[in-house]
Amino acid sequence: GTENPASEVETGQSPPEKPKLVKCRSPGKETFTCWWEPGADGGLPTNYTLTYHKEGETLIHECPDYKTGGPNSCYFSKKHTSIWKMYVITVNAINQMGISSSDPLYVDVTYIVEPEPPANLTLELKHPEDRKPYLWIKWSPPTMTDVKSGWFIIQYEIRLKPEKATDWETHFTPKQTQLKIFNLYPGQKYLVQIRCKPDHGYWSEWSPESSIQIPNDFPVKDTSMWIFVAILSAVICLIMVWAVALKGYSMVTCILPPVPGPKIKGFDVHLLEKGKSEELLRALESQDFPPTSDCEDLLMEFIEVDDCEDQQLMPRPSKEHTEQGVKPMHLDLDSDSGRGSCDSPSLLSEKCDEPQAHPSKFHTPEGPEKLENPETNLTCLQAPQSTSGEGKIPYFLANGPKSSTWPFPQPPSLYSPRYSYHNIADVCELALGMAGTTATSLDQTDQHALKASKTIETGREGKATKQRESEGCSSKPDQDTVWPRPQDKTPLISAKPLEYVEIHKVSQDGVLALFPKQNEKFGAPEASKEYSKVSRVTDSNILVLVPDPQAQNLTLLEEPAKKAPPALP
Amino acid sequence: MDSKGSSQKGSRLLLLLVVSNLLLCQGVVSTPVCPNGPGNCQVSLRDLFDRAVMVSHYIHDLSSEMFNEFDKRYAQGKGFITMALNSCHTSSLPTPEDKEQAQQTHHEVLMSLILGLLRSWNDPLYHLVTEVRGMKGAPDAILSRAIEIEEENKRLLEGMEMIFGQVIPGAKETEPYPVWSGLPSLQTKDEDARYSAFYNLLHCLRRDSSKIDTYLKLLNCRIIYNNNC
Repeated sequence: GTENPASEVETGQSPPEKPKLVKCRSPGKETFTCWWEPGADGGLPTNYTLTYHKEGETLIHECPDYKTGGPNSCYFSKKHTSIWKMYVITVNAINQMGISSSDPLYVDVTYIVEPEPPANLTLELKHPEDRKPYLWIKWSPPTMTDVKSGWFIIQYEIRLKPEKATDWETHFTPKQTQLKIFNLYPGQKYLVQIRCKPDHGYWSEWSPESSIQIPNDFPVKDTSMWIFVAILSAVICLIMVWAVALKGYSMVTCILPPVPGPKIKGFDVHLLEKGKSEELLRALESQDFPPTSDCEDLLMEFIEVDDCEDQQLMPRPSKEHTEQGVKPMHLDLDSDSGRGSCDSPSLLSEKCDEPQAHPSKFHTPEGPEKLENPETNLTCLQAPQSTSGEGKIPYFLANGPKSSTWPFPQPPSLYSPRYSYHNIADVCELALGMAGTTATSLDQTDQHALKASKTIETGREGKATKQRESEGCSSKPDQDTVWPRPQDKTPLISAKPLEYVEIHKVSQDGVLALFPKQNEKFGAPEASKEYSKVSRVTDSNILVLVPDPQAQNLTLLEEPAKKAPPALP
Repeated sequence: MDSKGSSQKGSRLLLLLVVSNLLLCQGVVSTPVCPNGPGNCQVSLRDLFDRAVMVSHYIHDLSSEMFNEFDKRYAQGKGFITMALNSCHTSSLPTPEDKEQAQQTHHEVLMSLILGLLRSWNDPLYHLVTEVRGMKGAPDAILSRAIEIEEENKRLLEGMEMIFGQVIPGAKETEPYPVWSGLPSLQTKDEDARYSAFYNLLHCLRRDSSKIDTYLKLLNCRIIYNNNC
């Protein structure tokens, strides 16, 4: 506090203001320095003194050295420095008017350690042969730190950056006094700084900047590494080539399996080349129906059966009875009319006396109906009604939009769009059992299912039609056939699938054994049912068959059945 | 000397322990670690010192942080420091107080001093944890560190005993160590007095952990590195 306040008023002089101890620092845990801030001097010359006493002692000492640490400082040499002891330090400002003392500062040297920055920072560019070039940074521990004996434990931090850059790249080193920097940009001038820290204490100031210029031709990478990489790649390539050569095809196949070419069972290209259409078609018979577009022209003639006198159902030797069991019809028909000829062996036939079941009628309805649902033309041809309804063999023809193709009883997958199955509900009903169609919803594919495309489309569409037919034929075959209701305006168009697409055989009694439509999944044809008579012919010229009670469960595995063409309405 | 540092130290310690275990299997002395005490195997002195130095460093970091936390929260403007002078129960131990004195102290003496300090802190550390737990509003920063220090202290004591056994074979006596009797003041009802007692304890802990750390690092450089760290 101040003394003699009275004189302050008189002379404008006063005792000095209380000084303030700013900080004390020890650079090496062996000495330390304290600095203070003087207050106002009160208009008189003022002296400052620093006094202290140590923990556990009562004796008060004065600062041993006011000079070494600069103005307003007190330096404690080694002799006067004790570690792990509290110093209670006070600074006093004295002038003529009085003395002012600062607040005491409690200092333990252990906790005020702040070293000088590291010394002797040197930068050197090194470019050893066969190794990457680098910048070699070296330095020494700061002054007044005894690192060797372990009294002072130190760690360093180096930072560097290209001159123009804003961000520093920093590196820590726990003890060593050198550092190697790789990945420098050539042509740049780098600035480097370093600082250090004791194991317990404050970081030093950053050293002054050192700079170094990286020459333009400074190699960033070392070439030997790239040579190595190149050789390695070459070796790998060679190995791969060798492996491919050895394994060859199998490897390539493994990686790039060959795209299977389209195949039509039974379709022998060579036969086609030879021009033997008959053989070709024969070969095709055993395959799934419908024939390819190539055969379309050949099949065009098979639509109508005009004159059924000599029609006979000829068991077709089918080469292979595939699951579908649908065979294309024999193809020697008129090519123009699109009407099946009675010679067509695949027709169910007995003598067709009455051409009423006229192919022409059964001819694919053209015109609007066809347009509307060209695909779904199923025509049931009535067998020549030689008898009074017995032994009538329904002919089933499905007309595609072209109306020139035999509709072949096919497995769903084979029901190509070109074969449309008309609502031969009866036929369907007659058809024994479902064709086991996979029957997807026909309705949807109604439009698409039996397109008048030449290509054989399998799968869904066929299935779709199948389903329709199946649906139509789900009910027990009976007399009361329900003609398939025309879906959209065409009576001929219906969703009712034709069930029986295949004439297995015709017995002596004129019993027609029909094969249910086969699911493509089914291998051999399943038991066929026999129909011995046609119960009636509907308006749309669909034959309704009556199953033959006698021979219901014929299984025909041996003979490849002929496929009954769907009857044309 | 902050929490980051201490967690760094912790992970470094863990890493060191793992690495030491690996090293010990192929280490300089080429003898495996002996988890069950001395027998057929012997940990190398260098590894023992390395481990001990790391633990002592860690303990001092934790102690400093704990003290600073307490000071910040409970001791501002209270002038506890004045009461803390001369309050450490270990001040009777004749520990060197500057570098020259330390360098002139024989390593046996230094090691005994270290052991004495470590042993004399077992008890206060145990009570510190208990009492800090009971302290109302004790921040986790203080409590967790107290618990950690207590554990590490035990570990360091074990390590030091092993080092002692190797450096001074045959020395089996246990020197007497100062006993702490500050428990009542930790439990006093007067809050200020109690906080003052805590302050003292933490202040002394910080100091003694610094002593142990410094002496060990000195010994490490002297014995293992031949004064050429």
